[in-house]
Amino acid sequence: MDLSLVAILLGLGMLAALATGIWVAVALFSVALAAMMFLVAAPAGPVMATTVWGAANSWDLTALPMFIWMGEILFRSRLSEDMFTGLSPWMRNLPGRLLHVNILGCGIFAAVSGSSAATTATIGRMSLPELKQRGYDERMAIGTLAGSGTLGLLIPPSIILIVYGAATEQSIARLFMAGVLPGVMLCVLFMGYVAVWAALNRRKMPDKEEATPFVQRLNATRRLFPVIGLIVGVIGSIYAGLASPTEAAAIGVMLSLLLSWASGTLNRDSFVGALMGATRTSCMIAFILAGAAFLTVAMGYTGIPRELAAWIGSMNLSPYALLIALTLFFVVLGCFLDGISVVVLTTSVILPMVEQAGMDLIWFGIYLVLVVEMSQITPPVGFNLFVLQGMTGHNIFKVARMALPFFLLMIVAIVLLVAFPGLALWLPQAMQGN
Amino acid sequence: MRQALNTLYRTATALAACCLLTIATLVAVQVLGRLFDWIMMTAGFEPLGIQVPSLAEIAGFLLVGASFLALAGTLRNNDHIRVSMLLQAVPAGVARLLNIWVIAIALALVAFFTWNAGLLAFDSYEFGETSYGVIPIPLVLPQSVMTLGLLVFSISLLDDLVLSLTGRAPSFEAVVKADPIEGKE
Repeated sequence: MDLSLVAILLGLGMLAALATGIWVAVALFSVALAAMMFLVAAPAGPVMATTVWGAANSWDLTALPMFIWMGEILFRSRLSEDMFTGLSPWMRNLPGRLLHVNILGCGIFAAVSGSSAATTATIGRMSLPELKQRGYDERMAIGTLAGSGTLGLLIPPSIILIVYGAATEQSIARLFMAGVLPGVMLCVLFMGYVAVWAALNRRKMPDKEEATPFVQRLNATRRLFPVIGLIVGVIGSIYAGLASPTEAAAIGVMLSLLLSWASGTLNRDSFVGALMGATRTSCMIAFILAGAAFLTVAMGYTGIPRELAAWIGSMNLSPYALLIALTLFFVVLGCFLDGISVVVLTTSVILPMVEQAGMDLIWFGIYLVLVVEMSQITPPVGFNLFVLQGMTGHNIFKVARMALPFFLLMIVAIVLLVAFPGLALWLPQAMQGN
Repeated sequence: MRQALNTLYRTATALAACCLLTIATLVAVQVLGRLFDWIMMTAGFEPLGIQVPSLAEIAGFLLVGASFLALAGTLRNNDHIRVSMLLQAVPAGVARLLNIWVIAIALALVAFFTWNAGLLAFDSYEFGETSYGVIPIPLVLPQSVMTLGLLVFSISLLDDLVLSLTGRAPSFEAVVKADPIEGKE
């Protein structure tokens, strides 16, 4: 049978499996198994067992449950309140005022948590009721939160970058470094938009609050020191080359427990809740990664990704045209799939094509995460929308409309990343040089 | 019977959580040991050389335990992600049939996987394969844990298949989440 026909059939099979509600990991395994059984002479069962064993038993991947656990502990701590009280006195004089708390709060929490949903929920738990009570425009309050919550994916530590690194055998430490500047850039874009919006819509902004004296502001910020210490300790030790991501993550777990104990939120319930939550979330992701590893190997046997790469190569597209096509494809895919599935499907099938086009795999990882961030706020499937639906009671389409400006800003961020690849690549190179 | 099964799933998930706890502890001991040695050296003393031997390998094996032993518990808490759009859009009767199809496919796959993981573990046992580190660990140990986790997962899928075939709701459909973020990326 013609290979392109086979590829189309497998693709349709994957879509049908996913659409009928088969678990993502099971769908990946099943399609890979079907491809092996019908197309390849190698015995499918043993290849499956050895591939999964090799992929699951990995020191680098150990960072994943540790960072998830750290996020779960902090989510259950008093960080949410501390973030609001610590940040809000400084934001009162900016145009857009406390709306910036959402963005900066998410940016800071993203630097201790690798999850977009946890970031949105932690910051929103305190800021949404506070902003509402002070009469801020609800559309902006929810929109800023939906948009900046996705920073959890980009600003290291990042679960999705660990997944990408594990699936493509790229250094997780380098990916973490590459994520910093694009993350900061996105924060600046969001804050700039909020400031401009606030200047243009003065009537929609609530009355100004009295400024807090400087000493009092410093005093309120004191409550942010532990979390800043945590960021410096965990991420700083990776950047300085003192610890591998796994080691930094395990220390992060210990420090978060300490922080949670010091703030009086550590008890049996919160400890067990965080540990079990982390166990289940990391099991879910590890199972998907196992399926993706098997799919990658099965695809390698069939030769489909090579053919695809050659076919795209023969079209002589410019890298820009290729990226535009890929972005459109990912945005559509992201409407229906969660971020991790988008990433593992990409790495199993189209990575050879990306390499063929001469793109740097670290850079491509950051680009992919930005696209996945967009998928978090596109209906009908977007985790940030689900979280905000749960928190505000508005349905996901309404939340998605509120988040639309931030979706567009992410497209701007992608254009900037393409135009200036150094945004992602400069920091890892500079750090490596040391 | 119901109680015995529930205990099985819960025990497996609890063991998975213990694996994570052990990883965190071992890695933290390693890092603190290095930090302590560094302080000793800076202060001009002999370093003690505290370290956990073969940590990278052991952590990898524990991760296998954590990932596979939790499979059943994760299923029963509805934390394995899937696209549920179609399921929510169709009438209840069709959704029930879809769920049966989904569980049946998963059961067939996981049972096949369990069998092959078992064969892999058996091969490692027969050829006496060990890890390469300072402490040679027989690979049959972690590979048996992987098989065991898959076996428990198969049992829980069979459990859910029987439930949905007899017209009751499978475990993962009966979960009510208080916490909006758990199980999300």
